[in-house]
Amino acid sequence: MKKIFCTVRSSFLMILILIALLPVASAQADSKKYKRTVERYSLPDVTLVNQDGKRVRLQTLLSGDAPVVVDFIYGTCTTICPVLSAGYLNLQNKLAAKGLKPRLISITIDPEHDTPYVMKKYLKRYRSRPGWDFLTGSRADIDAVMKGFNAYIPDKMSHYPLNLIRSPIDGKWVRLFGIMSSREFLAEYQSVEEN
Amino acid sequence: MHVLDCDSICCLNNLYGAVNLVLTWRHTIGAKFIMNRIQFSILLLVTLLLSSFSTFGYAAELLPVDLPKAEIIRLGERMYRDGILPSGAPLTAFIRGDVEVDSSAFSCSSCHMRAGLGSVEGGVVTPPTTGNKLYQPYLRPSSLDDIPDRTGRYVYAKTVSERPAYTRDSLATALRFGTDPAGQVFNDVMPRYPLSDSDMSILIAYLEELSSGYSPGATLEVFAFATIITDDVSPADRAALLQPLQTFINGVNEQMDMYDKFIYFNYTPTIDMKNAFRRATLDIWELKGALETWPRQLADYAAKKPVFAVLGGISNRDWQPIHNFCEAQRLPCLFPITDYPVISESSWYSYYFNKGFYQEGEAVARYLNRDSDLPASSRILQIVQDSPAGKTLASGFNTSWSQLEHPDVTSLSFSAQQLRDTTNLYRVIKQYKPAIILLWSDDSPTSELPELLTSLAAPARIFVSSSYLGAKTLSIPDAARAGVFMTYPYRLTPFTGTKEGADSKVPILASAKDFGKRRITTRTITMLMQSALQGLRRLQDNLYRDYMLDVMSMQMDQVSLDYERLSFGPGQRYISKGCYIIQLGKGSEPALIPRSDWVVH
Repeated sequence: MKKIFCTVRSSFLMILILIALLPVASAQADSKKYKRTVERYSLPDVTLVNQDGKRVRLQTLLSGDAPVVVDFIYGTCTTICPVLSAGYLNLQNKLAAKGLKPRLISITIDPEHDTPYVMKKYLKRYRSRPGWDFLTGSRADIDAVMKGFNAYIPDKMSHYPLNLIRSPIDGKWVRLFGIMSSREFLAEYQSVEEN
Repeated sequence: MHVLDCDSICCLNNLYGAVNLVLTWRHTIGAKFIMNRIQFSILLLVTLLLSSFSTFGYAAELLPVDLPKAEIIRLGERMYRDGILPSGAPLTAFIRGDVEVDSSAFSCSSCHMRAGLGSVEGGVVTPPTTGNKLYQPYLRPSSLDDIPDRTGRYVYAKTVSERPAYTRDSLATALRFGTDPAGQVFNDVMPRYPLSDSDMSILIAYLEELSSGYSPGATLEVFAFATIITDDVSPADRAALLQPLQTFINGVNEQMDMYDKFIYFNYTPTIDMKNAFRRATLDIWELKGALETWPRQLADYAAKKPVFAVLGGISNRDWQPIHNFCEAQRLPCLFPITDYPVISESSWYSYYFNKGFYQEGEAVARYLNRDSDLPASSRILQIVQDSPAGKTLASGFNTSWSQLEHPDVTSLSFSAQQLRDTTNLYRVIKQYKPAIILLWSDDSPTSELPELLTSLAAPARIFVSSSYLGAKTLSIPDAARAGVFMTYPYRLTPFTGTKEGADSKVPILASAKDFGKRRITTRTITMLMQSALQGLRRLQDNLYRDYMLDVMSMQMDQVSLDYERLSFGPGQRYISKGCYIIQLGKGSEPALIPRSDWVVH
């Protein structure tokens, strides 16, 4: 008898909890924890090297009729890069479920260490799908790209979480500073895609 | 919540257990089972509420796991370092609510570091996670870093300014739900781990053991160090190594004498000062005879007097036995002078300046990979002197060439005597008709190089190692210099001082006089600046070998006299990543002409 009472009370408690916390949850969902701006960038015409060792012209890679997402990471990074990369993977998985393949670019901020071999292993470790490229290059070129995105940092240990999404329509970039939930990231991506 | 009777608590505990069960079950099922958003929200809400209950001490008690302690530590270490659960499945977690992450890509130690004392990187301050630290109240000292952008380091996420001590149960709540004992919610970069009670108990037992006792060779009063010298090293090279080391040890102890005098005259030191001064001793571990006997000799030295770290060292022979010993003993071995570092992606305790001869071979592969005139691999002939240097250069080239997805080149091994006989060389050239020769030798006559070049097909190039050739590099005749390319793993741009400011500001230029110089003293000074200034001085009272390595791995890039750039990162153990491909200008004091960047991709 006591057990049944306990189960009933458990269910009651759960409902109570849900009711009590729902407004909090929805309020939290509305308050973005990241900063969003729309920017226009003048980017250098540089040739970088991808995880397959192929030389790729950055401007060619960024152009096209689909949104492009860019972030800055490095192969042995802790804290931020794994979180950004988990975000990329989740976006790939969510869009793959709809038969879509987003174009994702990670640019290293540790070009001396991040060789194609290191980058390929990194992508494999995160179980990335095709469509996610990891780029390295000369330090001068990488610095120029960071400066082009107003994201220059003098040392990789000072970096911060940043995602950039390029609109294929007007070439403007949505700049997202901070860590997004995968739902927020997807919404940001789709808002660029739909506009 | 404060008026709950014991029945309610019983119900909550049942509920709590049920949630755990669901999470564990969900985890075990893995990717096959995907919770919908409503299910996930319900779980999250329930768990949030339960976390607040646990704050008031109502959570189920976390019981120890019934396994031998050594097994618990082994399993806990695997969870902490590799993100693998005791079941062998990857540890999954959630960031920012719904970003699911797999901890085999990054684990606890990625951010909290191997010693568990945390890190500062990417503007994220990761707090310590050892039992010692967690079970005490925490008060963050105010810091200049509280001012944003003071040094260009944007502090994105700081630790809380204050929290009460954790208990085992509140720690379990923190790991599951991201709230500390005061109910403060963690930053989003900290994943939330839906661990079962037994897995949680194992992980917490590991955290309690982590960095729980000082490493051998260190006390609050004194650091014991050693350096390693093998019996093949010349007296001059030995002196070049020991001079800066002795100066360093004397300097440290003189500082300590001065500090003792301050104390004697009633000066009250700050805590920082107390931790800044510590005496140091240096033992010389001399290794004699056959390589096979080195591990025993090292073990005897270490047993006689344990040391905190091996500061540098020098050998002309294989470094592998020393490397293996340091790895097995978890003993930091910092920047020895060797051309034969062990090439490993997983070794932890040995730091090297670079990969030695191996890196020079790699540089040639990367350079050729970018060569617009590159002939087929079948037109590249690798001639390898049957020596450790020759083999290591070839190994670096072959591995890198293969990673760059080129077919193997033909490699021929010759003794020094065979290489002195040039008819032998012409015979193989006639046979293989190469366009490019990689000549990993210090015994083939450089006077023959012009003739050799004319016997090659276009584009007719010969690659050599300037480190291997040493002073003989200068004997390459002017007539051959247009066709001979060489590796040069040192700085070419003028050196005007490091950021530490301890060097001359008068630019020092690289020149042909550098060929053959082993740079023992300058590199040992760099080692000391690295180990002592960047590692030891930041230890405070955390006298753990792993922590010193953690601190060293998280530092900003440095410039040094010998290398263009030294760069770091968790797990990176070869700090100079570059090697130029150069050519010589004409004359007896030729210009060193770079034909590549410092780092080639």
